[in-house]
Amino acid sequence: MTDDDSSIRDPHDPQVHGATSSDAATLDADSARAGLTGANTSPGPRRNFLVEGAAIVIGGIITLVPILAGMLFFLDPLIRRNKGETAAAGGENGTPGGVIKDADGFIRTNVSVESLPEDGTPQLVTVYDDRVDAWNRFPNQPIGTVWLRKTEEGNVQAFNTVCPHLGCSIGYRNSENDFFCPCHNSTFKLGGEKQNQIPPRDMDPLEVRIKEESGDAVWLKYENFRAATHERIPV
Amino acid sequence: MSNMLTRLNDWLDHRTGHRELLHEALYERIPGGARWRYVWGSTLVFTFFVQLITGLFLWSAYSPSAQTAWESVYYIQEVMFLGKVVRGVHHFAAQAMVVLMALHLMQVIIDGAYKAPREINFWLGMVLMQIVLGLSLTGYLLPWDQKGYYATQVSTKIMGAAPVVGPSLQYLAQGGAEYGHHTLTRFFAMHAGILPAALVAFLALHIYVFRRHGITTPDPHRAPEASFWPDQVLRDAVACLGVLAVVLFFAITKGAELNAPANPSVAFEAARPEWYFLFLFRFLKFETIEHFGLAFGAIYLPGLVMTVIILMPIIAWWKGGHRFNVVFMWLLAIGTAFLTVLAIYEDNANPDHQAALHAAEREAHRVLELANGPAKIPVEGAVTLLRNDPFTQGPRIFARHCAACHRYDGHDGTGRLVLESGGGKAVAAAPTAADLGDFGSREWFHRLLTGYGELFRPLKNVEDWDYDGSEMKDWVDTHKEVLLKEENSNDLKAVIEALVAGTGQQNAEINEELAKRGQEILTEGTLTVGEMSVCSDCHPMAADDDASDGYPHLYRYGSAEWLHAFISDPGDERYYGEKNKMPAFGEQLSAHEMDLLVRWMTGDYSETNLEKPLSRRKEAEAALGAPEPAAEESEESAEE
Repeated sequence: MTDDDSSIRDPHDPQVHGATSSDAATLDADSARAGLTGANTSPGPRRNFLVEGAAIVIGGIITLVPILAGMLFFLDPLIRRNKGETAAAGGENGTPGGVIKDADGFIRTNVSVESLPEDGTPQLVTVYDDRVDAWNRFPNQPIGTVWLRKTEEGNVQAFNTVCPHLGCSIGYRNSENDFFCPCHNSTFKLGGEKQNQIPPRDMDPLEVRIKEESGDAVWLKYENFRAATHERIPV
Repeated sequence: MSNMLTRLNDWLDHRTGHRELLHEALYERIPGGARWRYVWGSTLVFTFFVQLITGLFLWSAYSPSAQTAWESVYYIQEVMFLGKVVRGVHHFAAQAMVVLMALHLMQVIIDGAYKAPREINFWLGMVLMQIVLGLSLTGYLLPWDQKGYYATQVSTKIMGAAPVVGPSLQYLAQGGAEYGHHTLTRFFAMHAGILPAALVAFLALHIYVFRRHGITTPDPHRAPEASFWPDQVLRDAVACLGVLAVVLFFAITKGAELNAPANPSVAFEAARPEWYFLFLFRFLKFETIEHFGLAFGAIYLPGLVMTVIILMPIIAWWKGGHRFNVVFMWLLAIGTAFLTVLAIYEDNANPDHQAALHAAEREAHRVLELANGPAKIPVEGAVTLLRNDPFTQGPRIFARHCAACHRYDGHDGTGRLVLESGGGKAVAAAPTAADLGDFGSREWFHRLLTGYGELFRPLKNVEDWDYDGSEMKDWVDTHKEVLLKEENSNDLKAVIEALVAGTGQQNAEINEELAKRGQEILTEGTLTVGEMSVCSDCHPMAADDDASDGYPHLYRYGSAEWLHAFISDPGDERYYGEKNKMPAFGEQLSAHEMDLLVRWMTGDYSETNLEKPLSRRKEAEAALGAPEPAAEESEESAEE
């Protein structure tokens, strides 16, 4: 500090030493005023550097801490997803009065193989599952719909009704005997193959299991897939 | 007094300097005089303040969560004092803002107000434009109705299709893998907090920089210089009044739409974006565009157009650049207008879309009826109102499970024709079972007793069904004459009354005396003139009667319990026995679905003032062919 003081007084030094006490007083006042009016008349580079640096660092910290904390908080869905912590949509097996689901996540529908039309006409089936939304668990909710149909070989095919283009719902047109999405006119064959260039891929098939012990009921693994991609990526 | 005021003013000015500020704000120089073409910016500022004010008040009644968003908007709209107007103004002022923004941008480009040294201010304006579009996008979802839900799904999916960061961005915007509570809380934070704050900040900068450079006048010598106050202020105020009048007009006469509550398991076929995004929507329907992948049409190409607009001040540095910009903007405007009109035209000409719109309107109306009822909205949310409503779900279940064979007033229950492909064209499909549109009503029984063969003509239910050899038809042919005799008209009425009474249908008011007389006729067969052989000669009639294969049990025929049992297993020995061909739905329908279907068919639901869908019997009957000569032929074609 003393070094700093002398450096401020430096330019006046010769006068201070050879002057009367009253002169010294006025000069002292002058130099004090000079200090007040700003660093440009008597700059002290080292001290300014420290002050500025400290101001910037402290100012930066007090601004960034709440912003960063807030931003990270906002990123919560991503951060927890990457840690695998988000509650997956879908429930546990055997919720009272609700969904019947096997160990591999296949959900029982109320459709049996026998009840599907022989001519391959698809049937719309609502899939029920327990659904977790943030702080709520909703038991036995309709989570989506599926087109089920019997193929010529007698197998059962299941397609998610969500359009792979942009996620509207694909309907069945019996006038054309095909699948059609009313939003952007995506069209698919009954086997799910795309018929025009609107959708990026065929309809999303879902895994099906027929279980004899449940009277040939159709069980399926309900999944949603990312829209607008060529590959099928589960979400 | 005025002296006092002046002194107060002086005192205040000494401390705040407000006179200078006011002078600065009001006495902006306008070379060439005030003009109408300068009003767009001011109308935008005005509309934004309308949004800020109405938005804050709407906030005081809005509750963002999946079970309360639609419900609180319903409450604002239907119950709260002036709620319809405040929400309506917010809704339509948002649209006005987009229109005014487009006009402002066009005016800035045409007048060259974006050229050096105003580049930065132009870019500030572009930032404001993105913020406003962000506001309308986030606001669309907040009512959490079907329209907003499905339209915003498309927006977030487009976001997800962006390269590299797309999926993460989508995940962040949604607050998870799927839409839920956090989608709403996040969209609301964006809509009511982050975006408006950003808008205020950038608007302040925009106006500050605008004032720094002053107004761009295409023709500074057309009139003597004027100042902002009062000449231009008056013009701006009149323009704002015009905007307000238009917004109020729509808010009061049309009102903001509120569709049925969002339901991820019910397809919304009428899904469309807000009208000013229709051009983009229509653009994504071009196969040649979509061929290059969604990101190309939905992100890269619009991004490229936006980049060109952003670069316009730099393009204008070169000779001819300004002309290029103006031509580009006009082409863009024409292209956008063309695609918008095309989208609207196509939707209007598309009967399926019109039907979907109509269905959406009915559902929106119905949910209001239910929510306005004494039970109000259950805590699980308004979506359960429709889920448990026979009037809404009955037609859907019918269309899904019954309409392959049956018709309901000629349609599939929801009002649509059942179609099939005939010679490359969609034609009405011939029914293969009875039309159940008025099942259990007096008309139904009248037709049954006097024209059974006609009613069941399409029947495929009974193995080896032979229209001409049917015993029931024989009965009708034998008794038709006597039943329709003038003298017996009261007897016929009485018989019908007794049968209707047996159904216990909710909306039938029964004349007890008449029904009693009918019951007598039904057991004894004695008419005023002549006789008839009674139902119980063939059909089991009493609750404890034995089953009689092939002659359906008629105890409380047409009642909820009869329907329930019959639909569950029509091949039961109490009904058609081995002759039956109708599938048993006991397994296919859940107990809840069965209950909804039966309650709908028997009219057991809370009152509605919605009309039934228009009858389309004529079309269905035409598909079946003319009754007598063509009957066989149409049966055959139906079998194919």
